[in-house]
Amino acid sequence: MSNSPIASRRRNHELVLILMAAVLTGGAYLLASLGKTSDIPANLIGFLIIVLGLLVAAHVVTRFLAAGADATLLPLAALLNGIGYVFIVRVDTRNRLAGLQSVWTFLGIGLYVAVLVLVRRVPDLARYKWTMLFLGASLLVLPMVPGIGTFNGTNARLWISVGPFSVQPGEFAKIFLAIFFAAYLAENRELIATGNWRVWKFNLPQPRDLLPIVMAWGFSVVVLVGQKDLGSSLLFFTLFVVLLWVATERASFLAVGGVLFATGAVIAWRVFSNVQSRVTLWLDPWSKFGGTTVGGDKGRQAVQAWFAFANGGLFGTGLGQGSPNKIPAVQNDYIFAAIGEELGLVGSTAILIAFLLVIGAGLSIAVKAQRTFEKLLATGLTTILGVQAFVIMGGVTRLLPLTGVTLPFVSYGGSSLIANFALLGLLMRISDSAARRNRELPDTPTLSERMAARNLRRQIAKADRIAAKTGNTGRTGAVS
Amino acid sequence: MNKRIRHLMFGLMVCYVALFVSLQIPQMFKSKALNDNVANTRQVEQVFDKPRGNIITADGVVIARSVPSKPGDRFKYQREYPRGEVFAAITGYFTLANGASQVERVFNDTLSGKGIPLRNLGDLVGRTDPTGDVYLTIRADYQELAAKLLGKREGSIVMMDPRTGAILALYSWPSYDPNLIATHNSKDATKQLEKLFADKRKPLLANAYQERYMPGSTFKLVTTSTALKTGVVTPDTVFADENKYLPPQTTDPIENYGGKSCGGDLREVFRRSCNTPFARIAVLLGGDRFVQGANDFGLNEAPPFDLPSPAASFVSAPGETFDDKQPVLAQRGFGAESVQLTPLQLAMVAATIANGGNEMAPHVVARTADSNGGTVTTTRPTVWKVAMTKSVADTMVDLMIGVVKGPNGTAQGRFSLPNGIQVAAKTGTAQLNPKGQEQRSHAWITAFAPAKAPQVVVAVMLKGVNAVISAGTGGRLAGPIANQLLNFAILHP
Repeated sequence: MSNSPIASRRRNHELVLILMAAVLTGGAYLLASLGKTSDIPANLIGFLIIVLGLLVAAHVVTRFLAAGADATLLPLAALLNGIGYVFIVRVDTRNRLAGLQSVWTFLGIGLYVAVLVLVRRVPDLARYKWTMLFLGASLLVLPMVPGIGTFNGTNARLWISVGPFSVQPGEFAKIFLAIFFAAYLAENRELIATGNWRVWKFNLPQPRDLLPIVMAWGFSVVVLVGQKDLGSSLLFFTLFVVLLWVATERASFLAVGGVLFATGAVIAWRVFSNVQSRVTLWLDPWSKFGGTTVGGDKGRQAVQAWFAFANGGLFGTGLGQGSPNKIPAVQNDYIFAAIGEELGLVGSTAILIAFLLVIGAGLSIAVKAQRTFEKLLATGLTTILGVQAFVIMGGVTRLLPLTGVTLPFVSYGGSSLIANFALLGLLMRISDSAARRNRELPDTPTLSERMAARNLRRQIAKADRIAAKTGNTGRTGAVS
Repeated sequence: MNKRIRHLMFGLMVCYVALFVSLQIPQMFKSKALNDNVANTRQVEQVFDKPRGNIITADGVVIARSVPSKPGDRFKYQREYPRGEVFAAITGYFTLANGASQVERVFNDTLSGKGIPLRNLGDLVGRTDPTGDVYLTIRADYQELAAKLLGKREGSIVMMDPRTGAILALYSWPSYDPNLIATHNSKDATKQLEKLFADKRKPLLANAYQERYMPGSTFKLVTTSTALKTGVVTPDTVFADENKYLPPQTTDPIENYGGKSCGGDLREVFRRSCNTPFARIAVLLGGDRFVQGANDFGLNEAPPFDLPSPAASFVSAPGETFDDKQPVLAQRGFGAESVQLTPLQLAMVAATIANGGNEMAPHVVARTADSNGGTVTTTRPTVWKVAMTKSVADTMVDLMIGVVKGPNGTAQGRFSLPNGIQVAAKTGTAQLNPKGQEQRSHAWITAFAPAKAPQVVVAVMLKGVNAVISAGTGGRLAGPIANQLLNFAILHP
């Protein structure tokens, strides 16, 4: 805990916002139950206590471990997660997902705390960048490992089985790869930006400098495309291009990225039948709606999502009053359509705004951070969140072709939720670190730093004792 | 780098604005089209998985309600009409695939709960039944009696309170059973509807206000009151005893009913329902005043009604003049030729007289309420037309009492109410076919009681579809029905 007035004001704001998020979630939970069955849920009080308990626990840990961090991120995540939970309960016809999602939330907040505990100094992460690359790449390949992976060449979901549960390692891989990209670019950005490899009229970066990052990116994209997870490959591609552009401050990377993306998209469309079918479903889902042949009803999700949005209109049908279950697997990719149906344009816009606020908070952390690595990492993590939310919401409204990724914090899914809470922990750590560097609160040493300092003092004292014995009073060189 | 990060922020904002714009398409611009898409069953299912409010008569009988569906049904609730055929013209039906009609249609927002406002926070959490109920002015006991008295005869019965325009009974036979159309088996429902559509007797229409018929002599109420208020006649005006009258511009004379000789002062010719005097009165009035008199009752337009699509009675076409059609004018003067009235509008004409000349807007809904009975809207009685002065109306009442009481009145001895309560009435026998052909006649009567302080008006019409009805007159056939209805209404106010 800190005595800094700025930090305590920030944490108090956070507490108030968290309470508001909890009230909104509890109210929505009550209304959804009333709308669905006209009953006040029996476990309402217990539900509120647990929601509040989890959030206040996260808040208290933040107060102790990241007192200077941004005040809005945790409440925004809590709100998105709360609204998502209410909708999962609401569309859960077998009474199975809701209980699991609360376990995932619990684990997610646990990992958030663990990140704050373990990662006390952001630059420590950069020291392990090659480990991060190795971890990220391994996680991406895991679903293809026979025995534990569920990848069978046709399904687009990347799972591995861990006991009774399935894990999507890709959700965690994105964080490790973001750390690697940020760390590598922080070290090499000037080399890449200057570009002293002259090819005809252009100064290009030395291939040697770009090689690791291009390989890392190429590997992940190839693996993901091979696994047919188009959403994640789009996400990694965007992350790569954005970080390269921000790090080097050269817009040409954006242009090259754009051209590469367009080429990749055309090739993917030519080569992969599932990309073609996604595009067809995007342009005209009606042609594949209600058919009884194989694939003749593939447009059902898209069409029913539009029906859901239409049914919602401006103010929505009211919680528990719509028919979101008509959208197959609504709790995953299409949860946004359920929100649009029952909360209307007003509610779906509120979700958009919540994500925009998350993006705003994340990027302002990036702006405030002084160290290049922290800036790039905050930018990368925010880009992951913002682009992932954009890609899936755009897919649901048919602004973009659908690529199956989860809506961060809102969709059902343990891996996604837990990974995003870890991501949130990192952003909060960077934010706190930036606040301390900006002297908004004193930079207290961490436990390991105090230990190291104590060891150092002991060694100095020991050296002094030796020096006193030997008569050599000069300290220089006593400790090496 | 900060500049690039700000650019990134801007770029992502643009993406989200695009997302916001893309939301408008399904949620706003195409919302209606998507909701109406035949493949979109959401709204229907939402409706049929939720209860719907009751339709309740003035004496507290529930005539439409939602009950839990039988096991195996696609939806949770089934619409039920406990006295189906008797109230079909009022409740209408509420169906899965064939829309809704009557109160079910017009008061859909109330019944579904959409139109029921939340009053307080308690409603938000405590009101477990969000639907609304519709309370009618219809009396179930009157309606049941009307249905019983009409039996299997084609025709219509309307009862109303002349002081408020409240409809107390509205029945016609043949009717239909809305339960058969409200079934969730759409195939059966559609088959049933097609059968009813094909029926020439139009059972799906509420004949009592959606069909019009030749009114015969009951129309003399309109001609007479017009003549009285314009001063063309007084009760003492004497008409020559004659069996035929030759109007201008024709060689085809007008005869009295049965070719009889008929004459005397206005009181006598009115109670005996001679034809020739009223043909003469119409010619005396002239086309303009005659049409104006009908328009004063709203007879050439549809009355304002809270049930859908009321028919307009017909006296004259818009802009029609009679300067060179004197024989037509003369015939319309006693309700012949192309004059057609809905049973409802005949009841309204009598009610206007009973109410001192003020014609009240008819209505069947008294109020709408939330499921706890708390009133949401109330129908206020409103004057639709002022057809005549109080003194003309009083004179008309006297003339109508004569029909019941006076010597040779067409309804003489047809009414006997408790405590000698006086009835006022006018009969009609509308001959449908020209002379020489097989005769077909509608039998009409309209009456109210107590004559000097009217509480209830009744109009009865029996369609001239068979020889028995066609051989009778309004007084003889429709009179007893009206008598029983008035008796019941006076004993059970």
